Amino acid sequence: MAAVEITEETRQQAERVGPPDVVVGIAGAVSADELRVRAQQILSELGSGASSLRFVFAWPGATPEAAAGAAQPAENPALTLVPFAPPTQGTGELWADVSASQRAVLALAASLNARACIVIGSDLAALRTHLIQLFTYAILDRQCGLVMPVYPPAKYDGLINSGILSPLSRALYGKRVHYPLAFDFAASGALCAGLARTSPAAANSLLWPVTVAATQFPQLPVGQVHVDAHHQVAAEGLELSAVLGQLAGSLFQEMDQCASHWQRIRGSQATPAWGNAADGQPDGQPIDPQPMLDSFLLGSKSLEEVWRLLLPPNALLELRRLTKLPPDQFRMPDDLWACIVYDFALAWRLRTINRVHVLGAFTPLYLGWVASYVREVSNLTSAAVEQRLEQFARAWEEKKPYLLSRWRWPDRFNP
Amino acid sequence: MWQQVEQSLHSSMGLVVNKIATLLPGILAFIAAFLFFLLIGWLVALLVRRILTAMHFDERMRGGASAIAEWSPRATPSLLVGRVVFWCFVFSGVVVGVSALGTSEHIVSGWMLGYVPRLAGAAILLLAGNVLARFVARSVLITGVNLNLSYARLLSMGVRWMILVLTGAMVLDHLALGGAIVELGFGILFGGIVFALALAVGLGSRDLVSRSLEREAARPVEVAQPEKIHHF
Repeated sequence: MAAVEITEETRQQAERVGPPDVVVGIAGAVSADELRVRAQQILSELGSGASSLRFVFAWPGATPEAAAGAAQPAENPALTLVPFAPPTQGTGELWADVSASQRAVLALAASLNARACIVIGSDLAALRTHLIQLFTYAILDRQCGLVMPVYPPAKYDGLINSGILSPLSRALYGKRVHYPLAFDFAASGALCAGLARTSPAAANSLLWPVTVAATQFPQLPVGQVHVDAHHQVAAEGLELSAVLGQLAGSLFQEMDQCASHWQRIRGSQATPAWGNAADGQPDGQPIDPQPMLDSFLLGSKSLEEVWRLLLPPNALLELRRLTKLPPDQFRMPDDLWACIVYDFALAWRLRTINRVHVLGAFTPLYLGWVASYVREVSNLTSAAVEQRLEQFARAWEEKKPYLLSRWRWPDRFNP
Repeated sequence: MWQQVEQSLHSSMGLVVNKIATLLPGILAFIAAFLFFLLIGWLVALLVRRILTAMHFDERMRGGASAIAEWSPRATPSLLVGRVVFWCFVFSGVVVGVSALGTSEHIVSGWMLGYVPRLAGAAILLLAGNVLARFVARSVLITGVNLNLSYARLLSMGVRWMILVLTGAMVLDHLALGGAIVELGFGILFGGIVFALALAVGLGSRDLVSRSLEREAARPVEVAQPEKIHHF
């Protein structure tokens, strides 16, 4: 389990109030004053309906300055702020640091024997009363083991999630979850310790709650709640290839570790969702996919010798055919894209070439898919885009036998 | 006169036959030692692989960011260790065989024995140079493409050949072949390439650079537009 330091004062405070029902943990640095104000507001808004539940708000603030801030008397005596030591080694990689903080929150909740733990992103966008209520309801009343968020639909947001993470996670683990890697989610007390457990060999690995729930706790139901919050990710200075490599590499690593589990799973199950789905964001100006298409074309011209090591001849032939299409007719078929991702996952597993090179050679292909997607959905409504993504995810499920075959018999001839 | 020729031929034939007869046991000893070490190496490598598999060596190496695992892309780490052990034995077999050859012919074996470490060093240099050239060239190619450089392939090929030429010169130098010619030739070649590139860029793109600078100076300051697409 991830090591979490709790100050003596905090421990005494936690022992005095007893085991909490719900730990609301902030996964990342946050101002103590802002958190106190927001927490007091939430407790007062929850009112008598949730008065029987004991909430504890945890935040990574076990530093002298932060502890001094937390020691200030609270206006609401029911408010319990528990600072914990933030993860000591920051990797500097966006999602690795977020995952480390999330694990620390979950480990704290497990050590306090909480019945539920709600993990909130450090920008506090999801720290709102009705969302806390929804997460609590799904875990405590509906007996869910894990509750993931459904963010408002946006055509052009979170494309790595829409194009790779969500459909791949769904095809592998059989849970129809929109955001398998999220800033906000909730877990039951039984799942907290399992999620917090960090294998020593994967110190900077990301936290994939759905994978853990599906493989280690298959008896616990997974649910979703609609979260009408929008997280601002600081994208400045982040290179697409680096982030894509980090996210895809981590998911491929999970695939490798959980191969014995996902090979037994067929199809997928719908997950219940609570709350009101937010309206999609307005379309705004149309997007020109040409720069992404140019990147794909440059990749297909220059990286063919690398792709030849990673992809079967049929996929290469299809890609070559795509490069000859006029830009307005460019469209990457769903099954081709699914097979390409599966082949890259296999190459990552087999170390066909250096893993950094495998992930680096993936970026132009991803941009090709983005160009195709942007062209296709530019005239669709949010609802139609959702339908399209559902159809897209089904194609991944239909191609899972291909992955199984390649995974089990990688040396077999594959045209 | 014919008698003298015949005698001379006989004596030279005798010398050659004598030489071969002297060398033959050594050659046989070389082959026997080589085959023996080959067999021992194969058995020990098999044993090492079995022991490492029993110790779950691959899983341990794959778990962390292990250097062995990263440098053996196609093979498992235990297979790689097994191969290293096998080739160590093969190398030892060659050395023992050559020294066995030495019991029959001192001059040949002395020269060969002295040259074996150089050959081994050169082979390692060649292998390392090739691996490095391939790795760096691929890194440059992928990075260049991800930076949308249209000349990424050219850049990668240039880097590859630079490393290969450097490796070739180092190998020849290590084998003590060519003497000063290699150093001189490499210096001229390398310096020539750099000079030609400098001339090509300096003269060929002088106008291009000046136009580009003028355009940059005249361009109004642009306000960064928010990105419409968010990948993450």
